[in-house]
Formats: sequence, C-alpha cells, structure tokens
Amino acid sequence: MQKVLGEPLLFAQALSAALETLINQLLRYNMQGTRALRPLSGKTLTVQLTELNMPLSFTISHEKVHVTSSDEHYHCCIRTSVSTLLAFNKNQQLTDLIKNDQLDIQGDLKVAQRFAEIAQTLDIDWQSEIAKRIGDMPTYQLGRVGRSLREKINFARTQIQADASEWLVHEQRLLVTAGELAYFSRDVEQVTAKLHALQQRLDALNK
Amino acid sequence: MMSAHDQNPASHTERNDESTTHFGFQTVDKHEKESKVANVFHSVAQQYDIMNDLMSFGIHRLWKRFTIDASGVRPGNKVLDLAGGTGDLTAKFSQLVGREGKVILADINSSMLNVGRDKLRDKGLVQNIEYVQANAQYLPFEDNTFDVITIAFGLRNVTDKDMALRSMYRVLKPGGRLLVLEFSKPEHELVNKAYDFYSFNILPKMGEIVAKDGDSYQYLAESIRMHPDQETLKSMMEQAGFEQTSFKNLTGGVVALHKGYKF
Repeated sequence: MQKVLGEPLLFAQALSAALETLINQLLRYNMQGTRALRPLSGKTLTVQLTELNMPLSFTISHEKVHVTSSDEHYHCCIRTSVSTLLAFNKNQQLTDLIKNDQLDIQGDLKVAQRFAEIAQTLDIDWQSEIAKRIGDMPTYQLGRVGRSLREKINFARTQIQADASEWLVHEQRLLVTAGELAYFSRDVEQVTAKLHALQQRLDALNK
Repeated sequence: MMSAHDQNPASHTERNDESTTHFGFQTVDKHEKESKVANVFHSVAQQYDIMNDLMSFGIHRLWKRFTIDASGVRPGNKVLDLAGGTGDLTAKFSQLVGREGKVILADINSSMLNVGRDKLRDKGLVQNIEYVQANAQYLPFEDNTFDVITIAFGLRNVTDKDMALRSMYRVLKPGGRLLVLEFSKPEHELVNKAYDFYSFNILPKMGEIVAKDGDSYQYLAESIRMHPDQETLKSMMEQAGFEQTSFKNLTGGVVALHKGYKF
C-alpha cells in the first residue's frame, strides 16, 4: 500500500487527513460541543501503534483536533498496539501493561487520560443528525428498521450459539455438559481426599 | 517532446549568463521575468485552487500535508510561508502554532495574496496571520526571524533562485529549517514520458477550459521542466549555507520535498 502512491509516507498523510476529518466531524455532532477540548489547547498526544509502523500525533488547537504523522514534538507519547490501546483507560491495568512491555508511555500521562476521557464522553444524537438530512419520517422508519434488524441479528446470534453448543455437546460429544463437568470435578476431589488420607496413614505407620 | 532537464538545467543557465534567465522554454532578460510571471499569476489567481485539485487529482493536498509533517512546527513558532499563494500551508500552520505563534503569508503577487487573505478570513483564521507582499530575493525581514520557512510550488518562478535561497537563509533562525516543495524530475523514464505527455497535451487544454487561460498552464508545464532536478537543488541549498540538506521524492519524483537547516 505504501509504495502505491510512489513514496513511503503519503499513506500516512492520507490516513491522518481521513482521521482528522472524521474526528472533527464527530466532535461537531457531539452534544457537549467542543468545550471539552479547551483544557487541552496546544497539547499534543502522539500514538505509535506497532501495527501501523508510523506515528500519529493529535494536537488540539482552535477547538479542533489536528492529526499529523510526526513525532518530533509531543506532550505525551504512547507506544503500543491497537488491542492494548483499547484497554488503556483502565488504570488498574496500566502498571501491568507497562511491566509486560505492552505499553510505553513518555511525557505527561494526564494528557493521554484527558484525550481518552473526551473519546469516552462523546455524546451524539445520531437520530437528530440523520433527521436534519433526510427528514423526520424517513429517520423514524430507518430507526424502526434498524431496531428490528438488530433484534433479528441478536436472536440469530443467540440461536446459532445454542445450536452450535447442542451440536458439539450432544451430537458430536466433543464437549461435556456443565453437569458432567461438575460430576467429574467432584470425583477428582474425592480421589484427592482419599489419596491425602492414605498418605497420612502411611506416614503414621512409617513412624 | 522537449525535456528541459536533459538539455538545459535552470541553475546552469542562470550561472552562465548573468543578465538572462528562462521563462518557461524562452530565454528572457532577468528584469522581464518578474512581470511575465506576475501576469501569469494575476490571470490564474481566482481559479488557482480548483485548478490545483484538477491538475493533481487532489494529491497536492497530501504533498502539502507531508510538508507540514516534515516542518516539526510547534506552538509558539514563527513561520514564513513564502510564495504562499492561496494559503493552504498557512491555514494549517496557523492552527498548529497557536496564539503565541505567528505565520507570515508572503507572496510577490498581489492577486494571489488577496485570494489567500479572503480564503483564510472566511475560514476564521485571523488571529496570528500577517500578509506581506514580498520578493523572495529581497525578504523584508530581520536576520534570524523564523523557525520554519516553507516555499511550496514557488521557487521555480523566482528569477534568481540562488539569491532567494541566500535571503531565506538570512532570515531563518539558527536551528530553523527550510522546506522547499516543488515539482521535480520523475525517477523512472516511463513515468517521465507519461508526465511529459500529460503536462504538454492535457494540462494546457484543462487550463483553457477551466481557467480560460491555456498559455499560463503551458508556462506552468515548461517552468516545471526548467526547474533544477533534485540533486542540483540540494547543492544550491548547500551553497546558500544550509546544512544537513536532504530531499524526499513524492509520487515517483513528480514532486520533491527538500529540507535544509541553518545552524
């Protein structure tokens, strides 16, 4: 992909441009507006994802987020993978992630946490935004179709899970039922207890 | 098809004959070039942005983003966007340097400057931008003023490029960097041929239809061929005093970004 545009780094510019447009559009729809960005004005968070092999810097200015592909200047820099980043805001895991070399943070951690807070508190009234463009009635119909589709997908997912479980446990006998597992565990515990008692008796006889 | 890089590299022309220079493929008196280039840009100013998008298929936006990324600009910096035209780079720099920083949009052409000023004001960018009509060869700023200087698609139109580079070096702060984004020489011969065909056959027609000015776009194609290639421009920057000079080819060398520091 990177060589298609001729030189290695234009992919980074295309990605940062797309991200910038997407983020600022989402912020425009946010019910809280862009007020949350003000305390971060002038601050830069740089993220280096192992999957991407290029830096992405997010700078707040003029109540907008500017995305660049440069790591020359930042207030906080995070080097990690996508999966680790998703768990980033859970403070209790932070130390473990750093110890396990899954996360490397340089600079002011509060900047990263503030960025994460903004992402979590995004509150967008999608129905109202869609209604502005296509009208109230089509939005209502679209919402109804969407809800019904979601219910059907949820039902299908539950059904498939149940059928798969039935097939694996009862028809193919590849897995055991919860009852069988509990019964087996109880037997193992009884054997362990008997073995322990036997060991004690043998020890007593040897004395 | 004429290929100027093979025949007559621009810097050599300028060095061999002190009183003449090139205007596209024509050789003209040095003092004549400025007014000819001015006429071209007075003519295309209003349609400049739309023509850029059409001619480059929008890729010029990525080339400019690449320049911004390479600038290392930070809040509080003072930036000179030379030959800034309609202000694409200035708009981004203005937001990145913040209230404490400053961006000077400079262009020799008043029509381009007016279009740029209107565009940036419409975008609400007014707080930290100043507009200066200036000739790159005689920059009206004190020594050691700017942290970053950019000149995007402007250097090839300058009459005396060496003089302009020396002038930029003078106004750059020690530690500052110059970025020159300019059309250059494609790396592969096949791309070069396709590019020549596009530049001399399609581009002027596009200019004629959209901007009602085919001649200006004929000049654009010719001026690109007359511009020094990557290595020549790099050595010109070194001669002007810049250090750690380097360049990156973009889109197969159709465009190159040159970077140099003042220490």
